[in-house]
Amino acid sequence: MTEKYEAVIIGGGVNGLGTAYHLGKKGFTDVLVLDKSYLGYGASGRNGGGIRQQWTSEDNIKLARESRKMFERLDDELEEDLEFYQGGYLVLSFHEEEAAEFKENVKLQNKLGVDSKFLSPEEAKEIVPELDISDVVAATFNQSDGTIYPFKVIHGYADRVREIGIDIKEHTEVTDIVTQGDEIKKVKTSEGNIKTDTVINAAGGWSSKVAEMAGAEIPNVPVRHEIMVTEPYKRFLDPMVISFEHGIYFSQSEHGNIVGGIGNPDEEPGLNQKGSLWFLKNFSDTLLDFIPRFSGVHMIRQWAGFYDTTPDAQPILGSVPEIERFYQVNGFSGHGFMVSPMVDKVTAELILGEQPSMDIERLRVERFEDMDLEEEGGVVG
Amino acid sequence: MSERRIFEHPILDFDRGYEFYFDFEGKKIKAYEGETIASALYADGLRKFTESKKLERPRGFFCAIGKCSSCLMSVDGRPNIRTCVTLAEEGMEVERHGPKAEFPQTDVGRGGERKKEEIEIAVIGGGPAGLMASIVAARNGSEVHLFDEGDDLGGQLVKQTHQFFGSHQEDAGTRGIDIGKELLEEARDVGVEIHNGSKVLGYYPEKKITIESDGRLEIYDSQGIVYAGGAVENYLSFENNDLPGVYGAGGVQTLMNEEGIVPGEKVLMIGSGNVGLIVGYQLLQAGVNVVEIIEALPEIGGYQVHASKIRRAGVPIRASHTIKKAIGDEKVEGAVVQKIDENWNPVKGTEREVECDVICLAVGLSPDTGFLRQADCEMDYVPELGGFVPLRTEDMMTTQRGIYVAGDAAGIEEATVAALEGKIAGAAIYEELHEETEDTRRSKEEAKEGLDKMRKGPYGEVPKQGVKTCTVDEEVCG
Repeated sequence: MTEKYEAVIIGGGVNGLGTAYHLGKKGFTDVLVLDKSYLGYGASGRNGGGIRQQWTSEDNIKLARESRKMFERLDDELEEDLEFYQGGYLVLSFHEEEAAEFKENVKLQNKLGVDSKFLSPEEAKEIVPELDISDVVAATFNQSDGTIYPFKVIHGYADRVREIGIDIKEHTEVTDIVTQGDEIKKVKTSEGNIKTDTVINAAGGWSSKVAEMAGAEIPNVPVRHEIMVTEPYKRFLDPMVISFEHGIYFSQSEHGNIVGGIGNPDEEPGLNQKGSLWFLKNFSDTLLDFIPRFSGVHMIRQWAGFYDTTPDAQPILGSVPEIERFYQVNGFSGHGFMVSPMVDKVTAELILGEQPSMDIERLRVERFEDMDLEEEGGVVG
Repeated sequence: MSERRIFEHPILDFDRGYEFYFDFEGKKIKAYEGETIASALYADGLRKFTESKKLERPRGFFCAIGKCSSCLMSVDGRPNIRTCVTLAEEGMEVERHGPKAEFPQTDVGRGGERKKEEIEIAVIGGGPAGLMASIVAARNGSEVHLFDEGDDLGGQLVKQTHQFFGSHQEDAGTRGIDIGKELLEEARDVGVEIHNGSKVLGYYPEKKITIESDGRLEIYDSQGIVYAGGAVENYLSFENNDLPGVYGAGGVQTLMNEEGIVPGEKVLMIGSGNVGLIVGYQLLQAGVNVVEIIEALPEIGGYQVHASKIRRAGVPIRASHTIKKAIGDEKVEGAVVQKIDENWNPVKGTEREVECDVICLAVGLSPDTGFLRQADCEMDYVPELGGFVPLRTEDMMTTQRGIYVAGDAAGIEEATVAALEGKIAGAAIYEELHEETEDTRRSKEEAKEGLDKMRKGPYGEVPKQGVKTCTVDEEVCG
């Protein structure tokens, strides 16, 4: 059986579903969303739900700023309590050199309309009294940052997308993308073939594999990142706390659990989604350095997902040179959730040939041909 | 009932230690040496221990083995303590903290270096399967570490006051509690290193396991694993099924036969399989009124010999009946039962109120296989064995080379089968890590013959078919 759709979105994560949602809102509903597993099986269902605007590159700051505004309205749009809690992001620095960069970052963020502040260690402790600030040199804080509950966003989108009339098929794996010249003809899946000329690659950690099927090249590499959750407590921690130097982040969810992760600098790229002992030990040890009173708290689960990484830690958006109507929404390098609303809106606009709400020219895959990349320095976890 | 502790029992002798008091929300609570906080509070009549996290429904004594989180309280200022596995101590201060506790006010410290050890064989679960596997591997010369989360080993045997029967098994006529003690003694004799109070938290490649012991994380790097983690009880959906007073048969047995505390005054038993019938009879032995036993099937599920004992004691067993709801706000104050027809549909107009303060569920078990999934062992859904079970060879090896399974975790059968599977697994893992010996060869042979005998007759046919579907050749193993 061969089906036919005007567009096929590969990946039922936040960006695949978000793009479907924005297409649908504009009346473009002959769309199929495919996921090889369940919705949110990849990074969208495995991340810490952080929504941050304190970035170092102009593109990321703008994407994050507009996305934050859209997240503030998303409850109403999706008719769902998404548990968006704007307790801020507290970014800690342990070195003078980094603190100096923080000052510059704040300047740029302020210039672009993000209301972040540079803080002394004592001011940081006022926000999180439990913090051990003995080694902290400085901090930045932005109140309108926060956390959201990823599963509710995913399912909120999925419900609205289905209502609009867009089809979603889970447990359907794309096995090939058939092209003729520079045109897409067909998407082959584990459940049959689908005729289409437009494909959106929102496959997260599997994006470079999907691009390869179409004969296009993107430089994305999946790298495992791990995360955990503790038993719940009454709210005591308002902001997400992060440190680039330690690679750690942690926040308290609306349910009261502490959710947090830490990056392993020696992590080998690859599609490994298992929890490790390295994480178990290093996360708990580092967390206790930050807040010693965590010593009596029980971790109840740990798991892992992928950062779909690019050489400059910035996403890849828009079409590719080799194939027509093959759109990329990937390479988010660990911050795909927080920029998704704006990214998905712009992607929908590009697919429909409309003027994009934000200029994303510098985020196209062609940038990797230049030697002069602007690397995003604000990646954590 | 002012005293819920059992002082006279036809079979069990509760040897209580000295009497002392601890503080519960300003009230002095009596406890005996060796009693858990939850047991002492239950004996004092407390039913509501905490509240559920989302809907804030009352939660009370439930699993009794540290798994369900229905008994979390603050102990000496430390929140989220599992009071059902924490021993009461003189002068302790215990209080309820509701669904969510305050973040700890003090740093309890890191406790120094983590324990990390290289070992040869890790056996997980100290029931009949794990004990037997440990014994066989150790008596051939392996260094065996046996981990069990309980203080007492023996698995479910420690709660079984009834005699095992059957003509072909060595243990016929012996009570479960005694079989458990004998196996434990034998394990000690052959040099098995026993880690009680050691909860297995997770599996990490390659064959590393993490353990929580005394609130500390321990890591063991093993060469081979026998997983004998047993089963979890099935639950039943009905209105108010989360009220304190609705218990699984396992929780009732722990409370009554290990802690020596009666669960209540009037018990409605759901399920007439062997577990329902045996626990029903144990309740009678402990002096509790079993008001009736209901069974959804048109006939009694368990052995006739158990059913007859119950009937002789005047307890009605009603087939083709189910529970519609539990009555009560903070705890069980009754239940509504009704008839069901041959298609399992409720028969209108047959609803009947039953006066009871305990509803005991004995509606079957499911293999506890989370650890094996974590280790990437291939699973199969086999209804005849109670749910998802690992694929295994005739030697009880899973699809992960060096990881073996035995007992209820491999499929729900009974204690003798578990012990026989343990015997095979223990011999096979020794052979894999060393070589075949006269003892391993004979152990496997005898145990396989034993299993064939156990899986005969009307009760044996079902598991026999189940085992057939999930047994694979060694070539499939990684």
